Amino acid sequence: MTYAIETINLVKRYPTKARRGVRPTPGAHPGRRVDSFWGLFDVLLRRRGAFIEALRGVNLQIKEGEVFGLLGPNGAGKTTLIKILCTLVIHDEGQAYVHGYDVKKQPTEVLKNLQAILPESRGFDWRLTGRQNLNFYALLYGVRDREAKERIDYLLDFTGLKERADDGYQRYSTGMQRKLLLCRALLRNTSTLLFDEPTAGLDPTASAEFRGLLREKLARGEGKTVFISTHNLKEAEDICDRVAILNRGKILACDTPTNIQRLMFDQRILKISFISSGRDERREKILNSLKAITGVNNITLDIGQDGNFQTITIQGSEDMDISAILAVLVNSGLKIGVINTEEPTLENVFMHLTRQNT
Amino acid sequence: MNLPIELKQIIAFTKRDFFSWTTYRTAVITQIINVFIGVFSWGVSATYVQKPVQEMYNSDYISFLVVGVAISNLILPLAQGIERQLNPWTLETVLMTGIKTPVFVIGNIMWTYIFSVITFVPYLFIGIYFFHAKLNVNISCTIVAFIISAAILVGLSMISTGLRVVTKATDPVTWALNVLENLLSGVSFPVIYLNTIFFPGFSTISWFLPQTWVYHLCRLAMLTNPSLLNWSTAQEFLKGSIFAIVLLPLGYRVLRWGINRSKREGTLGWY
Repeated sequence: MTYAIETINLVKRYPTKARRGVRPTPGAHPGRRVDSFWGLFDVLLRRRGAFIEALRGVNLQIKEGEVFGLLGPNGAGKTTLIKILCTLVIHDEGQAYVHGYDVKKQPTEVLKNLQAILPESRGFDWRLTGRQNLNFYALLYGVRDREAKERIDYLLDFTGLKERADDGYQRYSTGMQRKLLLCRALLRNTSTLLFDEPTAGLDPTASAEFRGLLREKLARGEGKTVFISTHNLKEAEDICDRVAILNRGKILACDTPTNIQRLMFDQRILKISFISSGRDERREKILNSLKAITGVNNITLDIGQDGNFQTITIQGSEDMDISAILAVLVNSGLKIGVINTEEPTLENVFMHLTRQNT
Repeated sequence: MNLPIELKQIIAFTKRDFFSWTTYRTAVITQIINVFIGVFSWGVSATYVQKPVQEMYNSDYISFLVVGVAISNLILPLAQGIERQLNPWTLETVLMTGIKTPVFVIGNIMWTYIFSVITFVPYLFIGIYFFHAKLNVNISCTIVAFIISAAILVGLSMISTGLRVVTKATDPVTWALNVLENLLSGVSFPVIYLNTIFFPGFSTISWFLPQTWVYHLCRLAMLTNPSLLNWSTAQEFLKGSIFAIVLLPLGYRVLRWGINRSKREGTLGWY
């Protein structure tokens, strides 16, 4: 089966001066071989010394038409992965394919099938209008004149930029600039689109609008494969069919948001607020009693300035004995106000996994 | 010391710029050397003023200088055009369109070249009508000289770009060629004058610089009304062509190498 995007044991290392960088083995630099005259030139001029592993054996398979989210904290390797896929960074080991084309060996074919929207790579001329900028890129993409005109009109309408198409780019708001980036990425009508932090810097309304555009119009409406990297977990939960959590260059989990919540964190969360707890001198005893109950894994206390319990959050497995918990609290004289049970969110899973692997 | 806040703020700006400047290590060294060679070049030029240029072009100094200035105005944008266009946003985005490397280079140079061709005419007009420069132009030779010059400069431009993509600042090769151009390429005095200033035979070095051939071929074509059928003229043009033939593919390979190296190091988007 040909995937829209597939990576196999993908490794990327960057040279660094940082002390925490890894030292290469003597006499060999990772991923470098002298295989030609120019390779020799390159090896002679290469930077020696430590390197940082940005990606450490990343394996992903993304199906056509899927909306896939790559989640990770800053420095996780998200942008590196996206840049490898759109041929702007060359990986050291492993393979990466876009619709079956090798990103290292067939970059031209890859770029005919994929477009990337990188927030820092604007590439628009500030003195030209939005339409003039799109015309320029349509020519670079080799779109025929007539087709380009029709496509640009369609895209400006599609993204709601038609009214302002003939304004100078420098007059565009951040949201409009982002939409123009989207127009440019769609000029070639490729089947796969990569977005690096698509809604970063947008206000909540513009973000929601942009998310709707990605999921409803592009993925559902036009059947495109959409790959987004984000650290906005709500965004990923809302629009992605599947997500992968990347931390320090490694994929920690990859599944649907619901399955990740269930599989990786098969816990329940019980949140209890108290009306009046009185100053409890027996706090330690209560906590020890709660910890001894079957299924209880973790207890977080929220204690007021007066030293009293305000809320208590208990994480436990699915077989956690809630009646025993309530019995301990009631027998201790605490007056319960509200009891909530919560399913762990993607954010809980994300925090849990990324902290574990720090 | 209790300095006024305004003074502290000015110091903060200065320190910021100093630290930023020191991060471009190559540029720091080259800028310092530039000062010395620049002064030296102007000194040599000043000693030459108004001497005849009979030996090389059978012409007077003002005609020699007018053509030199016009040519330098023509070639400078070729060498600088792509450098000015090169920034992390445009480079990454343009490379993602999948266009071919030569198209990228020529496309980035073309407008600046067209503009400098347009401004080439006023240079000559002012030189002829206000300073009485005497041109003796052979049109076909001039066209051939321009084509060879353009090829040499596109080659140099690609080498410069390829190295700049890696160094992110001045590249040592182009810098050396540009600095030596003022002193050794005969921009404002004939290169054989170097034998008088330094020692006999010194001007031989000049003929290994590609820019010397750009100036020499254009001056031959515009000052001496040569014929390409004349063997000695044809020889000069053939020698210039060798530079073009070597530099074009070399520049292409260096540019490809620079981009690939930056992609491997993940620094393509850096500046």
